[in-house]
Amino acid sequence: MQGASASEYLWICTEGVPGFSRIPKECSGIHITSKKAYMIMRRLLSKIAICGILILWAPLVDVVSAAKDTTEIVFLTWKPNQPEVWNKLIQQFHEKHPHITVKRQVCPHSSTEYHAIITQRLKNRDVSVDVFLMDVVWPPEFANAGWALDLSSRFPEAEQEKFLAGPISAGIYHEKIYGVPCYMAAGLFYYRKDLLEKYHFDPPATWAEMIEQGNIILSDHKNPGMVIYSAQFKQYEGLVCNMLEFLRSNGGEILDQKTGQVLLDQAPALEAISFVRDHIIGKAAPRGVVTYEEPESLSLFTQGKTIFHRNWPYAWAVANDPEKSTVSGKVGVGSLPAFEGHDHAATLGGWHFGINAFSIHQEAAWQFIQFMASKESQKTLALKAGLAPTRKSVYEDPVIQQKMPHLIAFLPSLKKAVSRPLSPIYPMISQELQRFFSAAIVHENEALPSMAHASAVRLKKLLELEAMIAK
Amino acid sequence: MTHKDRFFFLLLLPAAALLMLFIVIPVGQSFFLSFHRVISGLPQLGEAMVGLENYRNLLHDDVARHSLWITVIFVGVTTFFELLIGLFLALLMHRRFPGRGALRAAVLIPWAIPTVVAAQMWRFLMNDAYGMINYLAFGTKIDCYIPWLAYPATALGAIILADIWKTASFAALLILAGLQVIPREIHQAGLVDGAGTWRRFRHITWPLIRPAVMVALLFRTIDAFRVFDLAYVLTQGGPADATNVLQLYGYKKMFVEGWMGYGSAISVCIFMLALFLAIIYVRAVGRHLLEARV
Repeated sequence: MQGASASEYLWICTEGVPGFSRIPKECSGIHITSKKAYMIMRRLLSKIAICGILILWAPLVDVVSAAKDTTEIVFLTWKPNQPEVWNKLIQQFHEKHPHITVKRQVCPHSSTEYHAIITQRLKNRDVSVDVFLMDVVWPPEFANAGWALDLSSRFPEAEQEKFLAGPISAGIYHEKIYGVPCYMAAGLFYYRKDLLEKYHFDPPATWAEMIEQGNIILSDHKNPGMVIYSAQFKQYEGLVCNMLEFLRSNGGEILDQKTGQVLLDQAPALEAISFVRDHIIGKAAPRGVVTYEEPESLSLFTQGKTIFHRNWPYAWAVANDPEKSTVSGKVGVGSLPAFEGHDHAATLGGWHFGINAFSIHQEAAWQFIQFMASKESQKTLALKAGLAPTRKSVYEDPVIQQKMPHLIAFLPSLKKAVSRPLSPIYPMISQELQRFFSAAIVHENEALPSMAHASAVRLKKLLELEAMIAK
Repeated sequence: MTHKDRFFFLLLLPAAALLMLFIVIPVGQSFFLSFHRVISGLPQLGEAMVGLENYRNLLHDDVARHSLWITVIFVGVTTFFELLIGLFLALLMHRRFPGRGALRAAVLIPWAIPTVVAAQMWRFLMNDAYGMINYLAFGTKIDCYIPWLAYPATALGAIILADIWKTASFAALLILAGLQVIPREIHQAGLVDGAGTWRRFRHITWPLIRPAVMVALLFRTIDAFRVFDLAYVLTQGGPADATNVLQLYGYKKMFVEGWMGYGSAISVCIFMLALFLAIIYVRAVGRHLLEARV
């Protein structure tokens, strides 16, 4: 008795399990004669062949019908929060351009996952994508890899000037423009207007003041679940945006893009990081923030459990929706605090439209982008989806000014917002930054300067890779 | 080749073609890529053959070394507890009692749930604001709630726990199969000779189920080495890379950073490690276990 065979294991494993119909043990050897089985197989094979022909035929039929008079373009996008708004815009486009049909292909909501999918498709020169949304940090990568079409002739400087400068410069790589700004975002500071008024506080100008005000309010409130601040500190792209705001509001930087120097291990950066580690994580903000992305941190604010909150413009509508928020109508918004003696900072976010360089419908794709980036479309996106426009004229529109006065309050932060490092290898840089920032704020007892130095060395290695293409 | 042989060969063809398409070719491609410098965002670098550069860099990569340690800890702890709990469950399921069929089916449930769904469920359970685990531990004292996924040690503990919960039943089934082939007569003989429960387990059951336990060990170790989905859903590698298992690191290099060559080198290393382990186990267990006894 030396153990049992694999087939016997499987046999015994399924005993007594409902739903496993068992073949009688005697049948484990093949009893069907091979000739009979051969006949069955032959019939089966002929059916498979017929199916195969049908499958191959289908795209041909498709091509023939498409060639008639309409052009179909494919618009690759992430899963939107308000799909009905996007559908409505596409429907309006169809009415204006009956010869073009736009097919929307929806990818995951997460920017990183969407990036993984879109880069795989573009890298393989997939011509079935025509228009796509590009995160504000992607144009250098997409341009350098040759995935995004150069739009300089279609989108001249005179046209670019109608947009806000921040998003436009993010779409430019080596003096050519690859993206048309769809909507923009910036790190904004949300606060409980009612609580600040009650204690006669102005919105805090410095991070220290924020904690001071928060402590006074909390000591009075005696609500055990209440905290001072919530933001996004999980190890993901949002962490880079948040930490960059702390760094820059202390005069720090990650790298000097002109000289290629890494500044991550310099004093201003280290001071800002140690402030976050020592005074924010587990203190002003609950320890759990190191697992929070936007929705989790926002829900803390909408449940009235935090006084101050950092988020993108979309949070305004959610925080003021009485169905989703307990603090609706009690929300103030402005620029994030800074460190003493330094200017406020906001990280630039938002999305651009781009055209696949291998697309065979570039002209139709451009017409679609022109429509989507028009003043009317941006107004719709602002009014119905709460997305901040990139065209200057939308902010001057009376309907917008009347219905969305908070957009005007966003404007200083939107105009001041600065991009993350612009590089064709930004995804690599970002992964390294996420790793470093997460470790720096999670490990309380580790020596920050040596950690920063190790990370700076790794960043330099990455920049050397990028420098190789300049040669 | 006789007519019959040719027919059997024909029947094997679809399986062979699928294996070729989904295993042999991708693995071969990974090997090929791992000797090249391929970065999707920098096509100007070409696809230069760089020999062992990727592997040399990998040897000096602190992040990879950290990931390897995390993975080894994960494999060691999960395999140990899965086998221990699996053995216990198997002994329990082997006894005759009313409702045994239902219990066997119930034990299978965690294993039958897709890992992504199970991981999402654990993410909810471990949540710092509304997680069931915090509620069970602290009730309504919400200021005591612990953000389990926010500390490196507990985050790693969380994916280990989720894996043990999910796959202990798999080990149990394999061991149960081993238990069921022990002839009842041996136990009866032991009973007649006056052996107690422990002695019968130690000298009859254990030696006879050892091969089954070894098979479970083999499957679990190799499978645990390739852990990806649990970490991906629960923590995405964070906080501070505490759950950045090797597979996840390789995935990030390849699909997030577009560093195809380096990511492939990581995959190849995982493949080699798993293969190495498999060979050692198979040698230790003996070949006959994996071959059908005629």
